[in-house]
Amino acid sequence: MLTILHTADWQIGRQYGQFEADEAALLAEARLAAVERLAALAHERRCDLVLVAGDVFDAQGIADKTVLRLFNALRGFAGPWVLLPGNHDAALAESVWTRALRLGAVPPHVHLCLSPQPLHLPAQSVVVLPAPLTQRHTYSDLTEWFDAQATPPDLFRLGLAHGAVQGVLAEDIDSANPIAADRAARARLDYLALGDWHGCRRIDDRCWYSGTPETDRFRNNDSGRALVVELECAGAPPRVEPVSTGRYRWRDEQRSLRVDSDVDALCDWLAALEPHEVVQLGIDGQVDLAGLNRVRDALNHARGRARAVLADVDRLCIEPTDADIAALAAEGYLGEVIADLRAAQQEADGEAARDALVLLAGLLDARRTGASR
Amino acid sequence: MKITRLRVEQFRRFRQPFEIAGMDAGINLFAGPNEAGKSTLVAALRAAFFERYRSGAVEHLRPWDDPAASPEVDIEFELDGRHCRLNKRFLGRKRCTLQYGDRSLEGSEAEDFLAARLGFTHALRGASKAEDWGIPGLLWIEQGGAQEVGDAVTHATDHLRGALTASLGEVAGGDGDEVTAEVEKLRNELLTPASDKPRGAWLDAQQRCGRLADELARVDADLQACRQKVDRLAQLRGEQAADAAERPWETLRTQAAAARSALAEAQSMQTRVAVEREALDSLDARIDLLRRQLDALAGEQRSAEVREQALREARQVHDDALAAAAPWQREADAAQRRHDEARRVLAAVRMRDSHTAAQRERDELRARIAALQTTLAQAEAEQTRVLALQAAAAACEVRAADLAALRELAQQMRELDIRRAAVATRLRFALDDGRALHIGDEVFSGSGERLLSEATTVLLPGHGRLRIEPGGRDLAALAREGAQLADRHAARLLALGVASLDEAEARQKRHAGLQGESRAAAAALKVLAPQGVDALRVSHAALGGRLAELEKRLQAAPEHDDGTLPTLAHAESDEESAGRALTEATRRLSEARNRCAASEAALHAAHRESVAARARLDDPARRQQQDTAQAALVDAVSQRAVLAQRIDALLNELERVRPDALQQDVQRLERSAELLAHTQAQRRDDITRLEAELQAIGAQGLDERRAALARDLAAARRRQDELARRARALDLLLARLREKRQALTRRLQAPLQRHLNHYLGLLFPGAVVTLDEDLKPGPLRRDDGVPGRVDELSFGAREQMGVITRLACADLLQAAGRPTLIILDDALVHSDSERLARMKRVLFDAAQRHQILLFTCHPESWRDIGVRPRALSTA
Repeated sequence: MLTILHTADWQIGRQYGQFEADEAALLAEARLAAVERLAALAHERRCDLVLVAGDVFDAQGIADKTVLRLFNALRGFAGPWVLLPGNHDAALAESVWTRALRLGAVPPHVHLCLSPQPLHLPAQSVVVLPAPLTQRHTYSDLTEWFDAQATPPDLFRLGLAHGAVQGVLAEDIDSANPIAADRAARARLDYLALGDWHGCRRIDDRCWYSGTPETDRFRNNDSGRALVVELECAGAPPRVEPVSTGRYRWRDEQRSLRVDSDVDALCDWLAALEPHEVVQLGIDGQVDLAGLNRVRDALNHARGRARAVLADVDRLCIEPTDADIAALAAEGYLGEVIADLRAAQQEADGEAARDALVLLAGLLDARRTGASR
Repeated sequence: MKITRLRVEQFRRFRQPFEIAGMDAGINLFAGPNEAGKSTLVAALRAAFFERYRSGAVEHLRPWDDPAASPEVDIEFELDGRHCRLNKRFLGRKRCTLQYGDRSLEGSEAEDFLAARLGFTHALRGASKAEDWGIPGLLWIEQGGAQEVGDAVTHATDHLRGALTASLGEVAGGDGDEVTAEVEKLRNELLTPASDKPRGAWLDAQQRCGRLADELARVDADLQACRQKVDRLAQLRGEQAADAAERPWETLRTQAAAARSALAEAQSMQTRVAVEREALDSLDARIDLLRRQLDALAGEQRSAEVREQALREARQVHDDALAAAAPWQREADAAQRRHDEARRVLAAVRMRDSHTAAQRERDELRARIAALQTTLAQAEAEQTRVLALQAAAAACEVRAADLAALRELAQQMRELDIRRAAVATRLRFALDDGRALHIGDEVFSGSGERLLSEATTVLLPGHGRLRIEPGGRDLAALAREGAQLADRHAARLLALGVASLDEAEARQKRHAGLQGESRAAAAALKVLAPQGVDALRVSHAALGGRLAELEKRLQAAPEHDDGTLPTLAHAESDEESAGRALTEATRRLSEARNRCAASEAALHAAHRESVAARARLDDPARRQQQDTAQAALVDAVSQRAVLAQRIDALLNELERVRPDALQQDVQRLERSAELLAHTQAQRRDDITRLEAELQAIGAQGLDERRAALARDLAAARRRQDELARRARALDLLLARLREKRQALTRRLQAPLQRHLNHYLGLLFPGAVVTLDEDLKPGPLRRDDGVPGRVDELSFGAREQMGVITRLACADLLQAAGRPTLIILDDALVHSDSERLARMKRVLFDAAQRHQILLFTCHPESWRDIGVRPRALSTA
């Protein structure tokens, strides 16, 4: 029996511009940690080999230090690692791979498939047919040669490729690097390990996308997995088990505030966030000043608790209540200004009016509290 | 607010207590002359309200001569319908109490209470200042300050606005201005006040964005370049691999070698052609040589014949020359003879002419000698006479100076005699006949007179003697002088050797005559012998010598003219023409002889050459030489034909092979091979270089840096957007706040303007004034329709406007339930009587609603104000 750990799209070196610098650094670090966990997993599940189906690195120009750290992270599993270049780290004339080789970073048990040559692993009774990208984009099916490639019949015949399976993935996926949907069958492969799609996805019995082991975007696509694939013997159908490997849970949340209880619910939801969560939150609707302050406080607390919280409250209207106004002690023409700004929130330049209102409320609040002190 | 009683003590000029009680609710007129204390009362009112009772800055309230005094003011008044009493003591025994209805307040509490009610503030330190006075500052008009309404209104604006909001029933006041100021400050931290440009943190954020974006663009460019290099590397490697497999330069090198061997073949053919051509050339040279040899031999034959002919011609020429010379010899001889004859005749003629001339000269000499002889004799006689005359003249010479002196002396003596005669005693006598008289040694008779110049004894014979002594000393002096003159005269005469002056004169005349004669004789001599007599003698001797010589010559060569000789001119002419003929004949002869010599030399040369040529022709070796050369020529011509044929054949072959094209083929192929090899090496270098570059770039981690930059840029953009939003919000907020504030001010203006126009109608019927934003009177339109501004009015009119503005404010305040009290300290003194009359209507009208304290030093001006003036006089 052959046990394979199928993973892909590690995207080492990826930066997260939408977050604050410290959060982004932690999220980048998490990708290396995920590779370490994969090594531990392979070891623990006594895998015979690990197939990495492309996009190991996020870009060619990754710092030497990062390259060295990645290969260091592979020490946790002593069996063979088969690494395939993807579109982010294509095997160009000069690439991150040639640099890694030059740096002497690649340990002996790690096999780089930089050219479309069968890789024989006699100890595992395996022949791997890789389809590495040697350009950034191709428009021909690089796996086509699998069909004609003869391999000894008693060896496992595994395919390793990176690209978009034609006619299966959503239309907006880049249609470069196409892969025929029935390649596994046509090339008589025992298993075709695919990369590029960040979510875990089955194409057919013998063909899967493993997805990225550590989620890197809010789009909910079932990522943060690796696949443990078991093959009884050559020709037998594989048994595929998705295993969760991601550390961070990325959540994209939309909330509309209409009544006070909506605010309560949102605050509760925020209070329930956990340290491994990365949250993108959009809030609309309207709220009174007190509610706004509560939402702000809850967001601040949530930022301290969760890994990262991106909150967009621009579409939220401020509706100060009479009690709010009274509490602000806005006398004279200030009261008129507040009334005007409230109304102006609904107009074309509503955002500025809203901001102005919040600012004025803040000033008045500060004066009031200052005065009371 | 209405004051009912005012009492002061130890207050400036009021050292003793001074009280005004029973004040009226309307107008109270306080009249008094200057220094009566009006201003002191006003100051007491101000001090009582504005100055803190604890203030140390109120020394001026004390009487000037009482440093220990405690100025005290005690006021009873009605406020908010309650009876009040304020008592304030400064400096020494400080104290402040306020009774407000049933309430009692003390110290600063009392002061603050009043300030809030009346609408003013206390100075934070020191004496109270105008900006603290608020509403009382507006309503309590200081002496000479009525027209300055602007500042007073400004200081009172906040109080006015605050006080008036109630009457307006508006939501106004509050913290609005402070919040506005704070918003403005916050806004101006992000935006420039004037131009709305980003500044401060926003500007920093913008600049950071710009910097990061620039850097990102640079890194992107680097990345792009890096990618291009990678692609280039891949391409180069592909080409290199293809080259390594095909090795195209080797094919080319083989082709080049083949072309090179073909070229070598062609080149050897070319060498052969060159060798054959050289042989051909030497054969040509030999043929040429032989031909020239044969030509030379034939030439010698022709030359011998030519020489023979030349000899004949030379001989003929010589004979001709000889024949031509003979007549010229004869002609020359004849000419010589003719010339000799002509020369002889000429000599004879010259001899004859010389003789004749000598004879003529001799005759002339003889005549001249005779004449000279005569002249010489005359000259000698004349010379003797001159010498004699000169001697005579010298003997009788009297010098003119001596003669003049003598004359002078004679004259002086005559004059002296006359003077003596004048002085002398005149003795006139008339003697009887016969009677004589002896005077001195003389004896006189008859009548006569006698001048006696000295003591004289006159003897009258028979009678005795008369001693007559002329009187006076002069006579004696004159006598002495006369004697002296006589001595000198005599001496002079003696020196001249004459007896008298007359004789001297005669001698002088004779001397002059002799001298004249002597000069005439000398002139005659000069005529005869200009150079002197001796010169004459020399001339005479010389002429004598010459004559002697001539005569000797004539005797030696006697005349022999036979009368056939021609004249000299004729003879000379003959001789000359004979000479010319001789010269010409001689020249012609010489020429003929020269020609003979030349032709003879030519004849000799021609003869020699002719002999030599003939000798060469007759040489037996010459024949053999000619035959050999002929045979060699035939042989060489036939050899040349064979050789030329061979060369043609070779050239044809070369034309077919084209060695130049072969040469180019070799160059082309070898260069191509070299180029390919070089390209390959170059490519290898390029690959190495690109690899090195890419390795270096790879080590920079460009993508990672780009990602980091993109992340930083995103963060910077977020911050910039936040600040932009904040700036926009603050800007909007500030604009709204200002808008509302202005709107509120406008609402406050309306009632004030209404009150103002009420009074204005009394002052300037039909006039309307508009208040500006700060509640100050602005544009004014009078009934004449001419627009203007309050501050452009005359001083008097501005003063009146100032008073009614304040009255209008008082009305407004009263309507708002605020206390009002109006004080006019010597106001309206600049108003003319008509305006003052109108102002009295205004004040009377205002006094229906407010208490007015009116202080004046012109009580007569206010007689018709309807109240009795109170005199201010300390009892």
